[in-house]
Amino acid sequence: MKIAYRHLVQHILENPSIDHISDSLFQLGHEHEIDGNIFDMEFTPNRGDCLSINGLLRDLAVFYTIDLDQEIYTEKLDELSIDFENLSHSTCPQISFLKLEIDQVPEIYKDCLDNYFSDLGLNKNNFFTDVSNYLSYETGQPTHCYDASKINNKLVFNEIESYEEFQTLLDRKITLTGNNAVFSLNNEVINLAGVVGGKSTSCSTNTKVVIVECAFFQPEAIIGKSVKYDIQSEASYKFERGVDSKCHDRVLRRFINIVNDHTNIKDMSIISHKYKDNPIVQIPVNVHKINQIIGINISEKEYLNYLSKLGFDIEGSFIKVPSFRSDVKTQNDLAEEVARAIGYNNIESSEISIPKKDKPPHKDIEKKLKYFLLDHGFYEVINSPFVSLSSENAIKVDNPLDSNREFLRTNITNSLIDNLLFNERRQKDSIKLFEISDIYSSNNGINKKRKLSIIASGRTGLNFEEFSNKINKKYLTTLFAEILPNEVLDFKILSRDLLDTKIKNEIISLEVDINKFPIDILSYDEISKSPEGFIQYSPISDLPSSFKDISYSIKDHSKTQELQNLLLNYHSDIIKNVYIFDYFKNEKQGEIKIGFRFIFQSKKITLKSADIELVYNDIVQKSLRINGIKIPGF
Amino acid sequence: MSVHKDILPPELIKDRGSLHPINHMKDSIMNLLVSFGFEIIDGPEIETEEFNFDMLNIKKSHPARQMHDTFYVENKSNLLRTHTSPVQIRGMLEKKPPLAFISGGKVYRKDDDATHLPMFHQVEGIYVDENVSFAQLKDLIYKIIYSLFGEDVELRFRPSYFPFTEPSAEVDILSKEGKWLEILGCGLVNPVVLENCNIDSDRYSGLAFGLGVERIAMLKHGVTDIREFYKSNLDFLSQFK
Repeated sequence: MKIAYRHLVQHILENPSIDHISDSLFQLGHEHEIDGNIFDMEFTPNRGDCLSINGLLRDLAVFYTIDLDQEIYTEKLDELSIDFENLSHSTCPQISFLKLEIDQVPEIYKDCLDNYFSDLGLNKNNFFTDVSNYLSYETGQPTHCYDASKINNKLVFNEIESYEEFQTLLDRKITLTGNNAVFSLNNEVINLAGVVGGKSTSCSTNTKVVIVECAFFQPEAIIGKSVKYDIQSEASYKFERGVDSKCHDRVLRRFINIVNDHTNIKDMSIISHKYKDNPIVQIPVNVHKINQIIGINISEKEYLNYLSKLGFDIEGSFIKVPSFRSDVKTQNDLAEEVARAIGYNNIESSEISIPKKDKPPHKDIEKKLKYFLLDHGFYEVINSPFVSLSSENAIKVDNPLDSNREFLRTNITNSLIDNLLFNERRQKDSIKLFEISDIYSSNNGINKKRKLSIIASGRTGLNFEEFSNKINKKYLTTLFAEILPNEVLDFKILSRDLLDTKIKNEIISLEVDINKFPIDILSYDEISKSPEGFIQYSPISDLPSSFKDISYSIKDHSKTQELQNLLLNYHSDIIKNVYIFDYFKNEKQGEIKIGFRFIFQSKKITLKSADIELVYNDIVQKSLRINGIKIPGF
Repeated sequence: MSVHKDILPPELIKDRGSLHPINHMKDSIMNLLVSFGFEIIDGPEIETEEFNFDMLNIKKSHPARQMHDTFYVENKSNLLRTHTSPVQIRGMLEKKPPLAFISGGKVYRKDDDATHLPMFHQVEGIYVDENVSFAQLKDLIYKIIYSLFGEDVELRFRPSYFPFTEPSAEVDILSKEGKWLEILGCGLVNPVVLENCNIDSDRYSGLAFGLGVERIAMLKHGVTDIREFYKSNLDFLSQFK
């Protein structure tokens, strides 16, 4: 909600700067940004009472002296005769109508009405709607204006199951479905209550006789309607958060006053229906409790002074909660009011000591499994549970974000296959992934299983011992035999027939209940350690990568280390990785053969052959400067 | 020239894998809280409205309960938990005060952009005892934030609103660029919630807090797009060793 600085400050006697008010608003918990001289406010959902100039001023009164000099019409008003029936008192416990007839529609706006439109850069509609919109801004109470000449029969309010078209005053057709609180005329909906009025009875620039409706709707009846029908509605935003049930008379009298400031009123009458009274909340004065909740030590006088400034009445030993503060019901609510007034950041913290209980040693099979997998080059992944139908036992999401993913996965393996293909498309030739997750299915109720799934394909490792070995069932069976010598794990070879890939490497997978792992695994002594700090991430490249191998023949073996130092530490912006993929010591010929693989990838451009050749040639030249080293065939 | 017997083969560098950075961050936070005296408890990701909302004083009219914010399953009979708080409800129903629980795990909300995902991770904690105060909550939050971001970090408390805490606060830290960044939500447990769990709110009070794991991981690792965490890209994952 946008609120102009000058609309606030004109009521504050201390005349604070915009920054001063900003600081005060933050202390009170009202987040905002400042755009020029406009506060762009974001209120928490419990503070519907602040969605207006007056609401904010009521809160700011804890810091400033507020002078609300808004005049209202104080004379006695005739009773309005209107044919109205309320068929849902619980949804609309209070409603008032004001009928006004004016001499002529004013062309120029004055004072607060003019400032409202000019300062906030708003478009005008018609006189009565403009006054209604301004009043909502000033008081927080939305009102709705009907052109009285169009209300030619009984007006009925009801909350009904409906399926009918409704044309909003913004000239948009919507189809009302399900339960809606509506006003009807001649059995046709003319107003989606608390959200948007209808075109058939709306005011125009020629309207001279208006019926102003001022109501209290239960938030439950309004909530979600603007989203459901995709309508931007400030009224529904306010009704959803709760409005002041006792403000109708004042708001309608203020309406009269503003109209009267602009034109001559020929006739006016008012009627109020109160079907049910909102009870007044009273809370016992208990400063001890307040001090205990916050952890401070203030006097009762200071305590009550804060509340008094915020509009609470103190009557004997009770605090009477004002009607606009429907969010305050308990001592904790009052403690929050005091804490806001003091300032959360001004409350001294107090040493906390949580009693430590003797806990049994935490036997964590899952953690051991993870570290075993890390030690063997597996990376942990986390996948979204939302998938297309994967099994008849899959749980269906009633309201998915994506209609192609309206089920919860019943296995992890399918997610890992996607992860594997994703990395294969990025030229990865040694892929080992795992995920541990709860998996849910529906079978006579909801079943939960905690599962480990692994997937692996390609080379067993990127080093000279493992480079030529491909991952297969035997490799993984041997691996797991290290920690589970007595278990037979059901590794599967997954077919690539239905996968969009030309790579031929076997894909091996395993999916198993964590609970089936025996506690033997707890004796595994892991090598990998949890990272000590938090590594600064370096953005990755999605551009294609390629590799080049260089194989050397070394006769002077003492130069082997020098060559390794040169190549493994060679720096270039386009080298992503380098490792030794081949090493062979030929005793008979007195020769060492060593092969290095360089992976090239740029973060900025798709590399051309020439870019790679340039770096490659430099590597070759520098390495051949080492005596006793040759590149066969070079 | 013959092969020298004392020339050793190159060091065999075996690639070690890595924990997922989100799980690593979650575990780091939980380990920290365990060191403060909290006990880890777990609960289901598929919850009832009763535990996810009603018991936590989230009224039927609260926007979070709408279909556009919460994933419902099996004809609205259940939902995907929108926070880990229902685990604490289950814990409070099982044990009597004094109690100090933490729970961490996946939660679900209908969001999907560069800073929000429909699935993300939370760590939440609750401590219920006699005379637990807002001033003590502040002390705990300072300890958590200082442990995570260092004692030089500047932080502030802002009043906020959560139906299950009263008073409620959000905590921001000041970034190196001079911007306040929201880090966690906290407050004193609403007495209504204690009573819902059969805990005498006249005798006991509690504090509660919740952290978004992705948010903190993004700040700590310098990741700007939350979606990077869930692409399972080995180039990304291999950085977090």
